[in-house]
Amino acid sequence: MRRAVGIGGLRRKEAERQALSRKGNELAQREIQKLQEQISLMKDNLEDFVREHQKDIRNNPVFRVQVQRMCQLIGVDPLASRKGYMAELLGVGDFYCELGIQIIDICVATRSMNGGLMDLDELRQRLIRRRLKGSEPVVEDDIRRAINQLKPLRGGYRIVTFGKRKMVQSVAREMNSDQSTMLTLAEYTSKFNIEDVRVAFGWDEDRIHSCIDDMLRSGIIWIDSYNDAHPEYWVPAFFSQLSGGNSGNRG
Amino acid sequence: MTSQAPATADTTTASFQFPEIYSFPPFFTRQPNEATWKEQRRQWCDLILAYYRHNRLFSMSLAEAVTEPPFANRQIHRALRVDVLREIVDELAKQGHASWTGARNSKDSCLVFWRKPEVWASMIHQWANDRGMLNTVLTLFELASGDDTVGQEFHGLDSTTLRKALDVLQSQGKAQLFVGTSDEDLGVKFFT
Repeated sequence: MRRAVGIGGLRRKEAERQALSRKGNELAQREIQKLQEQISLMKDNLEDFVREHQKDIRNNPVFRVQVQRMCQLIGVDPLASRKGYMAELLGVGDFYCELGIQIIDICVATRSMNGGLMDLDELRQRLIRRRLKGSEPVVEDDIRRAINQLKPLRGGYRIVTFGKRKMVQSVAREMNSDQSTMLTLAEYTSKFNIEDVRVAFGWDEDRIHSCIDDMLRSGIIWIDSYNDAHPEYWVPAFFSQLSGGNSGNRG
Repeated sequence: MTSQAPATADTTTASFQFPEIYSFPPFFTRQPNEATWKEQRRQWCDLILAYYRHNRLFSMSLAEAVTEPPFANRQIHRALRVDVLREIVDELAKQGHASWTGARNSKDSCLVFWRKPEVWASMIHQWANDRGMLNTVLTLFELASGDDTVGQEFHGLDSTTLRKALDVLQSQGKAQLFVGTSDEDLGVKFFT
């Protein structure tokens, strides 16, 4: 009866382990190679597909989103480099660049109104209104991608959520957690007051006032002093589709 | 929100379309943040000029004005305070779109120029020229309410604003005013 004991046994065990491991690696490597070949083939096919359907990709946002997801799954990021072949292929390099510029424009124009916080869908609607008739339609996914491309900019463009509300924030200074917390109170009614904050979170007066002052200063909230004793604070970004830049009628 | 009124030939009978911000309660509170206030004030100025133009209103008595649209929005139970309206009118005055009337420094009433006196002036002079009315004397009454001016934009123009427009023409040497026994007797002669 042979038992794997003693130094010899241990050495044998080690050798077996290594042999198995090598075999395992070989197998794995063969599989990986096969996989790589398959992926390469898929990439080629995807390229052909994209080239053929360029027009549809530009004009049909649902289709575009699906193609982009496929690209991501296969590990191809069409927007990895501005001059990347995929971006050119998809014909979307310009599209996202243009969208990014329009987003910046809209955010800057409305900043004095909403403090740099805007509802994502409102942004989408403004973009559609602003773009020329016949140009490609814009969906939420497009905005996300365009904003992602804006990340390196100092502007600080990012998407933040408050409960069910998706917002685009376009100021460099991040909201601190007290501010974000307070804003969640306004999720449904677009407003809150001091009593609401005290009841919901139990903060002391100083903390509440300090946070409100910060938000007033950054323009994220407006004050409603209809009732002087109990002012209310409204979030313009939550108040459905406040327009920030009506052109005047001047003679 | 009021829905878009269909286009009609006579815009004064179509209902005025208020901007979205008109339903935003804080719009009626003077914002403490200066940058926000500037934006708010700008929107009030735009709204006043648009509303006054649409309804062909020419003057404002502040105390009365804050009890009605556009300064009071009954639907949301909010109204602008007189002192805030005063700040807004000051801004309009700075832009040449309003001028304070009444006692000095009282700032209780004003004229609103949704069309500046200079623009009225050139419209009136153009009409006079086109109609061959140069070198004839017209009364202000005829100018504002006469048959000859029916259909002209300045027909029905409020007398103080009309007077201001004619003053502009006079200073440009394009008209001469003649004082009569009453305002209705004021006469004007146009030159090229």
